[in-house]
Amino acid sequence: MLLLDIKNLTIELKTPDGLIRAVDRVNLSLREGETRGLVGESGSGKSLIAKAIVGVLNKRWLVNADRFNWCGQDLLRLPYDQQRKVIGRDIAMIYQEPSRSLDPTAAILEQLEEAIPDHLLEGPWWKRAYMRRRKVIGLLHKVGVRDHQAVLQSYPYQLSEGVCQKIMIAMAIAKAPKLLIADEPTTALESTTQAQLFRLLASFNQLKGTSVLLISHELESIARYTQSLSVLYCGQLVEAGETASIIKHPYHPYTHALIKSVPEFQPNLQPKTPLYALPGSIPVLQHLPIGCRLGPRCPNARKECVKTPTLERLQNHYYSCHFPLTGKKDV
Amino acid sequence: MNTLLEVKDLCKTYRKQTGWFSQRSVIALENISFTLSEGKTLAIVGETGSGKSTLAKLLVGIEKPDSGDILLAGQHVKISHYRQYNHVIRFIFQDAAKSLNPHQKIGQMLDDVLRFSTVLDPQQRKLKIRQTLKQLGLLDEHSEYYPHMFSGGQLQRVALARALILDPKLLILDEALTALDPSLRAQIVNLLLELQQKSGLAYLLITNHLRLVRHIADDLLVLHQGKALDYGNTAHVFAHAEHDYSRKLINSAIT
Repeated sequence: MLLLDIKNLTIELKTPDGLIRAVDRVNLSLREGETRGLVGESGSGKSLIAKAIVGVLNKRWLVNADRFNWCGQDLLRLPYDQQRKVIGRDIAMIYQEPSRSLDPTAAILEQLEEAIPDHLLEGPWWKRAYMRRRKVIGLLHKVGVRDHQAVLQSYPYQLSEGVCQKIMIAMAIAKAPKLLIADEPTTALESTTQAQLFRLLASFNQLKGTSVLLISHELESIARYTQSLSVLYCGQLVEAGETASIIKHPYHPYTHALIKSVPEFQPNLQPKTPLYALPGSIPVLQHLPIGCRLGPRCPNARKECVKTPTLERLQNHYYSCHFPLTGKKDV
Repeated sequence: MNTLLEVKDLCKTYRKQTGWFSQRSVIALENISFTLSEGKTLAIVGETGSGKSTLAKLLVGIEKPDSGDILLAGQHVKISHYRQYNHVIRFIFQDAAKSLNPHQKIGQMLDDVLRFSTVLDPQQRKLKIRQTLKQLGLLDEHSEYYPHMFSGGQLQRVALARALILDPKLLILDEALTALDPSLRAQIVNLLLELQQKSGLAYLLITNHLRLVRHIADDLLVLHQGKALDYGNTAHVFAHAEHDYSRKLINSAIT
């Protein structure tokens, strides 16, 4: 069953010069128990999409979608209170930069206790405080913090980035969500901690059946831990499908470039040889090219590319390009 | 191949006053030795607190070592010679956007560098700036720009321009590639490799990004809590790491 089903999500920013379309008709769907990666460079709108799903964008952003279904309910058309209730119950998010997202003025114990909803605590009311405390310690053990006593009494600034990130995860899983959104969970971490964290997320996915939406700009780390993948460029969805098939055979020139620019996916590449790189840089939001936004940087752009390509489907593999790298010659 | 930089038994301890008479000392680096030849790349990897950044600071002279020698092309380096050898070793910081002065135009900033450490007259300085910008794929007009007018990748190029304008022999990159987006990173990596081939620049790469290290570094030094664990040819260390910690680090990045 589809847990999350988003069709043509458009997010626009109100500015004095008119609307800027930061996310342009993106489709995203998630099955129960699926891990999906969302890959894109900075400014591609991946965090915006995540924030739109949890509904924390402020009033300056206009969010529109043809369909924005969560378990069959259209979230955008629900009354505000109910929307908050549904999201609060089912979706949890791990934000970027944990040490900044945690409350600097409260000890970890307080913050974790606050994250546990009442209905998950059993027993009579006079035992509530004790149960809550036990649950907090249990959560910390679950995310791999062994020395809970020291951590609980600390403030966020006293802990390392990795431990802060684990606490964020503990807060996120406290309410046993159906969907866990991890927004760049590993940017600030070292490679050993990174691997630990991904394993942790994978274990929640397997043991509890939690769906995970993993957002990152590092394709290589995401590819290892996800079943399906969506690739964004400048707010447009360029390719979506199963991770293995995308990595093996990308159809979109951008995905192709992304994969080729990572030495890890090129086992035959000699050390110290130049990497494959697209020319130019990511356009800023104020000066987006019309049509396919990759246009000016694309190696095989043609006249048709000034029109936005529609999302095509080939088996379970979606791509939006006029001239996909499918091998066969059309046109 | 000429040896450019030689570091012998470098030690550094930070002392912290904890009471009137009591001190607590933290050993940041302990007996670090390595050599770096011209046109080669040495990567230093390790977790936070392993002393990577301290090592970089010692090399550029921001901090003073407790004991040990830094030899640059066979000559001892001392802090008092800083002006003399800052031509040779240049440093690039992690975040280009934060390390450039937002009040200064790019041209002005590059001019300051030249005025401080060269004897060129204004005309020559202008020419030098133009050459450097061209070398890095930037335009002449860019010298009239302020840092906020550049995109992330261009800013990194500007930071490189500031480092390369003095024609250094060694460039220290402190996590300079980590924060970049993949396609930009590939561009910068290509640029660095090209510069290395053309002018025999040596790089000291301080990073967490082991996959990249395997691609661009000749030698690898694994630091852990201020001690050097494994040191050698990159391919060799990746294949046969001696210490458990380096093996763990390498495995976490590859498998």
